[in-house]
Amino acid sequence: MSAHIDPLDPETVEGLPPKWQADADDELVCCQRRQETEDVVSFIFRPRTPSAFRFIPGQFITLELEIDGETINRCYTVSSAPTRPDRLSITVKRTPGGVVSNWLHDNLQPGMSIHALGPSGDFCASHHRAGKYLFLSGGSGVTPLMSMSRTAHDMAEPTDIVFVHSARTPKDIIFRDELQLMTRNMNSFRTAFVCERRDGEPGWSAPTGYLTLALLQLIAPDYAEREVFCCGPEPYMRAVRSMLADAGFDMTRYHEESFNFGSTAEADAEPVAVANSEDGYSVELTKTGVTLRCAPGQSVLDAARVAGLRIPSSCSKGVCGTCKSKLVSGQVDMKHGGGIRQREIDQGMFLPCCSTPLSDLVMDR
Amino acid sequence: MKVSNEVRELIASREAGFNLEAPFYTSDEIFNLDMEVIFGQHWVYVGVEPDIPEPGDYFTVKLGRASIVVLRDDDMNVTAFHNVCRHRGAELCSEQKGSVGNLVCPYHQWTYDLTGQLIHTEHMGQEFECSKVRLKPVHVGNIAGLIFICLADEPPADFEQMRATMEEYIAPHRVADCKVVAQDDYIEAGNWKLTMENNRECYHCVSNHPELTQSLYEFGFGYQPNPSNADEMKAFTDLIGQEHARWEAAGFKSAEVEKLDGCATGFRTQRLPLTRDGESQTLDSKVACQKLLGDLTERKLGGLSFWTQPNSWHHFMSDHIVTFTVLPIDSQRSLLRTKWLVHKDAVEGRDYDVKRLTEVWIATNRQDGALVEMSQRGAVSPAYQPGPYSPYTEAYVEKFANWYIERLNTAVA
Repeated sequence: MSAHIDPLDPETVEGLPPKWQADADDELVCCQRRQETEDVVSFIFRPRTPSAFRFIPGQFITLELEIDGETINRCYTVSSAPTRPDRLSITVKRTPGGVVSNWLHDNLQPGMSIHALGPSGDFCASHHRAGKYLFLSGGSGVTPLMSMSRTAHDMAEPTDIVFVHSARTPKDIIFRDELQLMTRNMNSFRTAFVCERRDGEPGWSAPTGYLTLALLQLIAPDYAEREVFCCGPEPYMRAVRSMLADAGFDMTRYHEESFNFGSTAEADAEPVAVANSEDGYSVELTKTGVTLRCAPGQSVLDAARVAGLRIPSSCSKGVCGTCKSKLVSGQVDMKHGGGIRQREIDQGMFLPCCSTPLSDLVMDR
Repeated sequence: MKVSNEVRELIASREAGFNLEAPFYTSDEIFNLDMEVIFGQHWVYVGVEPDIPEPGDYFTVKLGRASIVVLRDDDMNVTAFHNVCRHRGAELCSEQKGSVGNLVCPYHQWTYDLTGQLIHTEHMGQEFECSKVRLKPVHVGNIAGLIFICLADEPPADFEQMRATMEEYIAPHRVADCKVVAQDDYIEAGNWKLTMENNRECYHCVSNHPELTQSLYEFGFGYQPNPSNADEMKAFTDLIGQEHARWEAAGFKSAEVEKLDGCATGFRTQRLPLTRDGESQTLDSKVACQKLLGDLTERKLGGLSFWTQPNSWHHFMSDHIVTFTVLPIDSQRSLLRTKWLVHKDAVEGRDYDVKRLTEVWIATNRQDGALVEMSQRGAVSPAYQPGPYSPYTEAYVEKFANWYIERLNTAVA
């Protein structure tokens, strides 16, 4: 059957098609890839049979994929808005070691179909009506908040939103142009970007570093009055959570969603600016003369990368040993894959890529 | 195989009992042929198990243009691979000795496990299948802890006979329970065959090796009898008979086995008495290490010598082992690599002193190096002409040259 919705077809315009239901037709046909940033692609889908995507912004769909003969289910929050029901999109960041994200990047092309379930989930501003919202996102955690923002924009009602997005560099800000466009169109919609580094954009004038409470107070002095929606990698959200809780924020008004909660491993591998917090441990690099913060669950390598330090590395899973470093003091939980020998460990070496601190660390880097 | 008519003619016209023609020591074409036929197709001694005692330990060795990494895998097996990344061919291990978790190419971090299987790459896309890429394996032969490699697709099968014979001889010295306590890498300014020929005779010993001949009988490798040495030679022959009987009864194989030519994997072995105190190849002929090898208690085990074609010789005493390998560099330079091993539990300063352990062979190696260099200078002279070997003292040199010419003949025929 070739019939798919052509919204410009006069017959289609006569009546909205029925709601897309995965129970009846679980196939989504990819119609376009949009390169959002260097390592982020949006995949735009249409239903196989004429139907309209109806969902609450912030919800996710579950992809069911066959990868290397194995069936893998992975949830992705929808980045498109239900106000444009003809198409549905997800926005995927390539993740080191991420089986599904890499598969999608490498394989999913326009014309191909995939199986999907949903939408479902209740990480939705619509469930928590409030006068003012604060959206906090890290990396590809932008997607559900983008869906909410696009909806608010399309609805053209004065919704008060402050959208703070954390990224590695200005070039890594997903939907940067569209967010700026929405800012121009809506008086009550404000965006703020916090990039770890200015890489490639020396003229970048927004704050660099990490989201701190002090910075948040500058961006949204009334943050305490806002309903907070937060999405990003687990370490990011954990840091945001503790930052807000420490500041006395009413946590019943804090809502969070992992941008990719189907796979903790993939989420954890995502390097993203983590809010400064007292969580985690300090890592002192003796040669570099830098002390950085490693969030709970974050690998030492990722923490260094977030701090803008490049430790030579490759596999990020303890196999190649490229990042092997001397641990001067402290203890780590290391889950290596053969890239280091016990006798090297006995001599005080470790692999930062697969180690999380169990105490404050000093390393010879 | 491309071999010029001149070289074919030289191989075909070699006169038995005489030195090789000069081009065998000077020509680049013959050097390349040697690397392909001799070092590329035969079993070559490269090191000992104690060079790589633990999983992840490796050493590298160069055979002509080939670089090989020999390593201990996680199951304690000794394996070897061409030291060349399957990505863009970079050399994987640039150190002569080291230790790794996995084998990681320093260039783009392609990572191989110790079985040679590629297990990690970045940026190669979804279609790329690591499972289809392996390091190129190299055959490994192990004789009681001595490691041989062979680059041929199908290595000479008679290695097994050498192994079966030699394991019995070497076993009591327990190579695998030793440690390498010294290594001497010495470049001789001569063709590798001159180094080997020099090694295969002791004609030159008395006048050139004052240190070595403190402990080594000059009669051990052939001697011309005459009235003035008749008594000494008789005494030496009797001593061999007596010591062989004693050693054999105690379980130490001693009799000569000689298969130096007429086969692909040539070798010779014999346990020979040492002079004076008869314990070891040292200046006073006493042991250099108080802790004997394995669980030996008898110090006077003489010197068990083991020679292999094309490029090695070894001496096993009660207290230490010395191994030698000759690795050609070019037509007129060769690396002589010597290793000294003692019991792994021996303590330096208490049980042995490295200087005392190594002084005889370091001195001897330097003296031999000078002799080889002299021979090389002669070989490039227009006046060079192959001379006759001594039928008494140079029979093994003749066997070496025979073996060499046989192997070339087999390959270029």
